Amino acid sequence: MQTALSIAMDAFAYGMALFIICIGLSLTMGLMRVVNLAHGAFAMIGGYIASYVARDLGLGYGFAILLAMIGTVLIALPLERLLYRRIYDRSELSQVLMTIGITFCVIGITNYIFGPTLKTIPLPTGLAHPIDLGFRSIAGHRLFVIASGLVVAGGLWFLIERTGFGIHLRAAVENVAMARALGIRTEIIYAASFALAIALSAFGGVVGAEFLPIEPYYALRYMVTFLVVVSVGGAGSIGGALAACLLLGAIDVTGRYLMPEFGNFFFYLAVILVVCTFPRGLMGRARSHG
Amino acid sequence: MAEATIRSAAASRPGPLLRDLLGLGLIALGGLAGYLLFPDNLAFLTRLISVALLVLSLDLIVGYCGIASLGQAALYGAGAYTAGIACLNGVTEPFLLVLIGAAAGAMTGLLMGAVMLRAHGLPQLVLSIALVQLLHEAANKASWLTGGSDGLSGMVPAPLFGVFEFDLWGRSAYLFGLGLLLVVFAVLRLVVRSPFGMLCRGLKEDPLRISALGIYAFPVLLKMFVISGAVAGTGGALAAIATQVVGLDSVSFELSANALVMLVLGGIGHLYGALVGTVIFMALEHVVAAANPFHWMTLVGAVLIAIVLFAPRGLSGSLDQLAGLLTRQGGRAGR
Amino acid sequence: MNGTSFGRLLRSGALALAGTLAAWSGAASADTIKVGIIGPFSGPFALQGKNFQAGAEAWLAQNGKSVAGHDIELVYRDLPTANPQQARALAQELIVKDKVQYLGGVYFTPDAMAITPLLKQGNVPLVIFNAATSAIMTSSPLVVRTSFTTAQTASPLGKATVDRGIKKFVSVVTDYGPGVDAEGAFKKAVTAAGGEVVESIRMPLNTTEFSPIMQRIRDAGAQGVFAFLPSGPPTLGFVKSFSDTGLKQAGVKLFATGDLTQESDLPALGEAASGMVTSFHYAVSHDSEINKRFVAAAEKAIGAPDLLSFPAVGAYDGLFVIAKMIAATGGKQDAEKAVEAVKGLAWESPRGPVKIDPETRHLTQTIYLREVAKDAQGRWINKEIASFPDQGDPGLAK
Repeated sequence: MQTALSIAMDAFAYGMALFIICIGLSLTMGLMRVVNLAHGAFAMIGGYIASYVARDLGLGYGFAILLAMIGTVLIALPLERLLYRRIYDRSELSQVLMTIGITFCVIGITNYIFGPTLKTIPLPTGLAHPIDLGFRSIAGHRLFVIASGLVVAGGLWFLIERTGFGIHLRAAVENVAMARALGIRTEIIYAASFALAIALSAFGGVVGAEFLPIEPYYALRYMVTFLVVVSVGGAGSIGGALAACLLLGAIDVTGRYLMPEFGNFFFYLAVILVVCTFPRGLMGRARSHG
Repeated sequence: MAEATIRSAAASRPGPLLRDLLGLGLIALGGLAGYLLFPDNLAFLTRLISVALLVLSLDLIVGYCGIASLGQAALYGAGAYTAGIACLNGVTEPFLLVLIGAAAGAMTGLLMGAVMLRAHGLPQLVLSIALVQLLHEAANKASWLTGGSDGLSGMVPAPLFGVFEFDLWGRSAYLFGLGLLLVVFAVLRLVVRSPFGMLCRGLKEDPLRISALGIYAFPVLLKMFVISGAVAGTGGALAAIATQVVGLDSVSFELSANALVMLVLGGIGHLYGALVGTVIFMALEHVVAAANPFHWMTLVGAVLIAIVLFAPRGLSGSLDQLAGLLTRQGGRAGR
Repeated sequence: MNGTSFGRLLRSGALALAGTLAAWSGAASADTIKVGIIGPFSGPFALQGKNFQAGAEAWLAQNGKSVAGHDIELVYRDLPTANPQQARALAQELIVKDKVQYLGGVYFTPDAMAITPLLKQGNVPLVIFNAATSAIMTSSPLVVRTSFTTAQTASPLGKATVDRGIKKFVSVVTDYGPGVDAEGAFKKAVTAAGGEVVESIRMPLNTTEFSPIMQRIRDAGAQGVFAFLPSGPPTLGFVKSFSDTGLKQAGVKLFATGDLTQESDLPALGEAASGMVTSFHYAVSHDSEINKRFVAAAEKAIGAPDLLSFPAVGAYDGLFVIAKMIAATGGKQDAEKAVEAVKGLAWESPRGPVKIDPETRHLTQTIYLREVAKDAQGRWINKEIASFPDQGDPGLAK
């Protein structure tokens, strides 16, 4: 029982870290219909900025997160204007290729600037040490990830379902022409949601760095994982993404506990089963693709 | 039946057949020119041919059926490993090995198609990734059979026609590969122009209308998956024979993704595009990566972006467009 | 048309053409001996390739570019990940087109396996700077290796750990060739020394979340853990997870081969790895005059000191061996004579005394027990605490 609880705790933390990184991708894919494979590249940029701020400038963890989010968005916005805007209405294949291209460029440039070694983001003392929960000790940082994940999920739900911005966004997604006719500035809505998705990816890259260490190949190494998680959840659905992260996180972690040598088999078999049973994802919002 | 239709098509429209012969002649000529101009790079050129077969097989699925796949290397790797294992177990005749590889690829294609055709669009893409990862994992686990991460090595294929050995200079391997490519290409031209090929294209362009004709899409697309598997398996078997080692990279997501990039570079939906893309990508990689490996990745990225923005139909599509403008016909060769 | 005779015609034509070209280009560079070096110079393993380059250039910088009157020219070829097909193509091109007399480098085992069948026909010896599977040496008599094997570095750890009073182990390895080798070698050594491996865990290559593994270690109630992971990003997660889940605080000891704590990863591992004991053939901090000079030259070649790691010493010694081969053959291309000349060769390497075993052509060397600690300048290093001289490759002795 104690072991089960302990495993559940690990699975929950891992799932939440995945969720924070992936939710931005789910938004771009579901609401803006862009298969943004460069999402991991933005998470990585966030991680690099945070590492630079916290290690080399010696500022605190909170500053590092904030500057990472702002910096990544500042890097991404020109890309949105120049590149992404041209592929919003193109086929998935074009989007996949363009964003793979962007990923390659980001990897090449990062490698050039920061070198090929691992970069760490020093944690504040409060998060760095194990905390005793009675039945086991858990890294304080993991509790922070879990809390952050819950806040992100709640905040996004509120933003999209309960605010004016959310209404405009959903309107633009359902019918661009009609939304424009009603006076909604769809370009601004798109740019803002893109910025939001990027900021979330940077946040995820920083807080998830203890699970997925920051190095130049980060963007490519975890690309498949992120894409798989989002598709299993159903693009655009917060609940779906949450469910997918927790489900796949749980399968991954328990699989690795029970039969570590077959860990990957469980993961990908689960993916195949879920995708075959729910072709639009666990809670897919996207309409069928043409 | 297919033969009859081909013959009738040929009789009524001699144009395309002539063009195909011309195309095959061009490929043969290009291949021989490669042989004469780069006699010291034959192992690289052989590798190029085996990858070209993989990209051709991907074109059948992506270009002619509209199914995006990032797992095509599963079929290629199945062919490579099966041919390699057969070779280690005493079947050393190269032609037989290629047939074995093609059969293994076709079988894997059948399975992969049966799974992938259950979904559409993005989930389909994810299924293809999951399948290639599963196979990669299986090949790693079954190290008693596949050699695992150390690779399957030690195979010695018999000389071609009992005379030409697969040696250091790689001449027989290259000419063998070139012959295979020509045969496969000729067959594929016939396939894509057959009523079956047209049907696949119809399913890509307008699935609703085709289903309104009372045609059930699943078996048609599955058949294309099997053909595609056989072609990819042929490429894999060629790689196994020429390299005499099969590594886990032959069933990897990376190889699948690279194949897709090459295909799009050349232009999807044209068999010629697949060849053009492979040649340009691999030649560039060979030259640029040797000069400065580090900037290779940035360069590929930039080229990809540029293609999506400026030449969405790939290089061959753009060339067709250009030719169309010049001759004021506006038609496209492949269609 | 008869395909065979047509092919033969073409072959003869091509041969004639190639012959003239070769004669033409060969005359221009009479006394330069080319050495082809294949390694991962780009991609996720680019750091290891950079170390090859740094090691080789350090040797040239110290000994000059000329050996017994023959100039050495290094020709680098990039092979980013394990890809036997590409490895064969690159080796073929180096031998046939660039006319190299020696091949060196090779990071991954399958790549080496793809190159070895070419050596005899090409009359070229291959000096392996890294690829660490025992079986490579049996695939061709023209292979010499200046690195290590996983079994070689893992075996001494078995006795050393039992001597420290720890008897009950869990082994955790990455589930691929070298991992399985390490698991077997450690288990054999520990059992021989009177200890016991109570559980052997193999984890998939791309594992990023290690806490379930740590939970299993806890369940097994082991006193010590033996780990093997290939050097790279996952090692950070593993080591952090070990201390985060409280195993370190609970007094469980973590042992590993030096792959886990290669110097270029140490700044990132830092505190989490502190006190960890590993066994390996080389530490950048090894205390000897010759190593100090090597490190100074290699750091200069690689650009930044914290990038230097073990593949560099493999490349440095590799060039030493190739230079001996050139001297022994008088610059003539004779692979068998060259390999014969270095069998039994013994010298003082930056890692310590080494010797090429005449039977296996693999390096017999000292394996060190090291502890992750800070040096006087506050840099994290692998501090050598014990040594096991004259270790051969137990993987080949089976």
